[in-house]
Amino acid sequence: MNSLGDVFKSIWVRLGSMSLAIVLLVVLSIASVIGTVLLQNQDQGDYLQQFGPLWYWVFRSLGLFDMYHSWWFLTLLGFLMLSLAACLWRNVPRMLKEMRSRHPWLSERAMDRFRLKQQWLLGEEEVASIKQRFREVLAGWEFKEAAEGDMHFIRADKGRGNKWGYILVHAALLVILIGGWVSVEFGFRGDMAVPEGQSEDEISFLQGTERKYMKMPFSVRCNSFSIDFFPTGAPKEFRSNLTIIDDGKEVLTQDIIVNEPLYYKGVRIYQASFGDGGSKIRFRLFSLDGSAKVRDIETRVYETWKDENSGVSIEVTDFKPFNVENMAEPGQPKNFRDLGPAVEYILRGPGLKPVKIKAFMQPFIDNDGINQGSFLLVSLSGDAKDYQPVSLGLDLTNEDEWRLFHAFYRHLSASKIEDAKQRNLLAFRAALAEVYGDHPPERVQDAAMHVLQAMRMLPKLPWPYIPMLEDFDQVYYTGLQLAKDPGMNIVWVGSALLVLGLCIMFYMPHRKLWLVIRPVDGRMRVFLLGMANRNEMAFAHHFNEIFTKLTRESGRTIT
Amino acid sequence: MRATTMDSNRLGSLNRGWTGLVRFGAYLGVMLGVSAMAMFDKSYGESPFLLELLSMKGVLWYGSAALLGAGLAAILGAVRPSLHESRLVANLVPWLDGVLLMIGLAFAWAAFEPAASQIDYEDQSNLVSGRVIMAMNVVFLFSAISYIAHLFAPESFIGRLATGSAYVGAFLGGSALLLRWYESYLIDVEIGHAPVSNLYEVFILLFCVTTFVYLALERRYQARAMGAFVMTLVAVGVFFGIWLDSVGQADIKPLVPALQSYWMKIHVPLNFVGYGAFAVACGAGMAYLFRHRLEARNSQSRLLRVFPTLEQLDQLAYKSIAIGFPAFTLATILGAAWAAEAWGGYWSWDPKETWALIVWLVYGAYLHARISHGWHGKALAWWAVAGFLVTVFCFLGVNMYLSGLHSYGRLS
Repeated sequence: MNSLGDVFKSIWVRLGSMSLAIVLLVVLSIASVIGTVLLQNQDQGDYLQQFGPLWYWVFRSLGLFDMYHSWWFLTLLGFLMLSLAACLWRNVPRMLKEMRSRHPWLSERAMDRFRLKQQWLLGEEEVASIKQRFREVLAGWEFKEAAEGDMHFIRADKGRGNKWGYILVHAALLVILIGGWVSVEFGFRGDMAVPEGQSEDEISFLQGTERKYMKMPFSVRCNSFSIDFFPTGAPKEFRSNLTIIDDGKEVLTQDIIVNEPLYYKGVRIYQASFGDGGSKIRFRLFSLDGSAKVRDIETRVYETWKDENSGVSIEVTDFKPFNVENMAEPGQPKNFRDLGPAVEYILRGPGLKPVKIKAFMQPFIDNDGINQGSFLLVSLSGDAKDYQPVSLGLDLTNEDEWRLFHAFYRHLSASKIEDAKQRNLLAFRAALAEVYGDHPPERVQDAAMHVLQAMRMLPKLPWPYIPMLEDFDQVYYTGLQLAKDPGMNIVWVGSALLVLGLCIMFYMPHRKLWLVIRPVDGRMRVFLLGMANRNEMAFAHHFNEIFTKLTRESGRTIT
Repeated sequence: MRATTMDSNRLGSLNRGWTGLVRFGAYLGVMLGVSAMAMFDKSYGESPFLLELLSMKGVLWYGSAALLGAGLAAILGAVRPSLHESRLVANLVPWLDGVLLMIGLAFAWAAFEPAASQIDYEDQSNLVSGRVIMAMNVVFLFSAISYIAHLFAPESFIGRLATGSAYVGAFLGGSALLLRWYESYLIDVEIGHAPVSNLYEVFILLFCVTTFVYLALERRYQARAMGAFVMTLVAVGVFFGIWLDSVGQADIKPLVPALQSYWMKIHVPLNFVGYGAFAVACGAGMAYLFRHRLEARNSQSRLLRVFPTLEQLDQLAYKSIAIGFPAFTLATILGAAWAAEAWGGYWSWDPKETWALIVWLVYGAYLHARISHGWHGKALAWWAVAGFLVTVFCFLGVNMYLSGLHSYGRLS
């Protein structure tokens, strides 16, 4: 019994079949489309929210959230490799044999099938000259001659290696897939965030839906991180100065930028992202209870400061030293300006709705150069999209204005004048005199505007105080990507073979020409036959050229 | 497909013989000279690539290399006369001549550039390249209309007008891009970069590549009727380009750090050789389907006389794909090499990468159907058209609808 062997054989034959290959390619294409439409490797919570519990679990069990690494996708790729291998195994020996064999002999039937065909009727000497001319015109071609009965054949070949094109292309794809497998199996790729001045030796990466961690054989210290800007305010360059520490010793210090990674012990270290590495933040809390009290607190980005007395807490989420915004009116030419440092925090407290706030260090100077006072961006939903500007009126970097506001408030409350306009004016004059004495500020108008805006806005704020950014000591973290890819060179070899194979396949067609000589009634009928396996149109052109050249030498034609 | 006309023969003889060979040697010399400068010149890399090329040092490097190459070619030609008949030389030299002409045109346009003090990042409307591109738009539209008119009135005059305007449009577009490259440095040396960094620029590149691939086929196979389809595709693209300009996408903007790499100058143009060739294949496919329809209805239309035969159209579609497929493959591989250098992995299943793979599979399947299964005709013509739709999605759709690492090609 040989049935098991037969089964294997028939499986092998199926594996190498064109139909299986096409089915695999179609399924792979469709699956790939799914992977591009459904965002991959996002936060699981987002998926749950997006699809609802039922579809979330269906998609999750199909591995669609990390589809390109799911078992079924990898199995498909595995089958593709098997199919390529079987295809090569079956066809390569045949192709090699075909490339070697070149029988000059042609049957009558075969001659009829040629599409490129011309003939002459010639005398004996002319035949000799045409044979010689045939070889001259086709310099660089390979010739083979044979006689069969009274017929004489000369075959010329060019590009006999064309089939190497197929072999190389398919072998190259197999090599690339093997390289990819080696990369996945023996390589790694993960992220590492290193705050300035600190070091780190662990990367994190997503595997399926889980985050995994991995120790590196060395640690990376970030000495500094810097950003360079274009005049337009767009970032130009992200640069990290890194030191590799191996076995407690500093072995290498180097700058990396995007597109120029560092290479150490088979691991490439790329500049991938950056962020705040826990900058020191000093807030100035401006009390809103009318007491004019101000106090400073210190905290860090990513930390939460809690006020034990009032129960209010400030969770600092981010800090940015530059905030470039387009300040142009809609429809006007763009006008990018840096609004200066800003800190983002979430303010919580008993009886308060939590809000996300972005507080700028400097007051807002409008396009006419007028100081419009300090301002905040406030988002009630906690989403940066919903930021609403809140103009506080006062320039809080100017202590005098803060005092002026409170003095005004006091005088206004104490005043007994009925007329509102008059009352405001007198209270403001009194406040001015109290704060500035005999030296009022240069732009009294502005100060008055600020105080009036503050009178409108500050009482509306529900918080016990406004935390403003007073000072900072910035620390970045540099977001690095570390990758080891032992399969990469295999992939490059495969790629080179692929391009080489394609060039042979498309641009070096196998072209064949025959000169067939047959005696007819004491004269010679000479046939010129041509065939190309690629690009017949161009060859037809060439064929006609050759025919014309030979005819010019040897006289008459018959058709 | 008839014998070539006298005209192209006379021009063709300029590309053979010693004139062609010497020019070929000179061009090769320039390329090697530039490479040698990049590799061996100590001060190379201090200023941007384009400014290095335009500097006296650059001119000395590739100028002397060109002289050397031309001299060497002349000597080699004298030693081995068979080189005079080289098909490689005859095929490549016209393209290189075209590049030279384009550079010359760009220099000519540069003379009309406003004074440095008038050039401003905020308002780029006074740059000359914008005007050249506008001229290109008009010429391409005119060309498309002429090609269509030529179908109904096959006088050689209209056909020549169509072909001529296609050439003019492609040269205008190419020289405008070169000029834009130079202008980006005029705005600010820091901002300057090769003009293949956003959708607007690559669109112009796509028009030029498509037109040139088509014209190369037209010149060799007298397939002028196909132009009505290819140039219509280009005309549609021209309208999209005008729209991009009108929404402010045409401005020269600084490069994001991820694009600041010499790979951009290689990867992007090569990709568009692929896209352009696929567009021509789509045009051939449409022409095939059009003729097929006429024939199926037993039409005696005069149109049939202008059209290449079905078999020729089938071959032309295949030929364009045979140009596009290897170029696209190489471009994708080079993209992978860039990704390995910039993103930490040669393949990340980023939407753009994945769609490039899908495009590759679609045309790979086309080639299998044709070569191993011997398919021809209508089904493959449809395939060429559908394949181009997939290509367009890869080129535009991915940027517009999907997010990913290629998001700098996005409309904003």
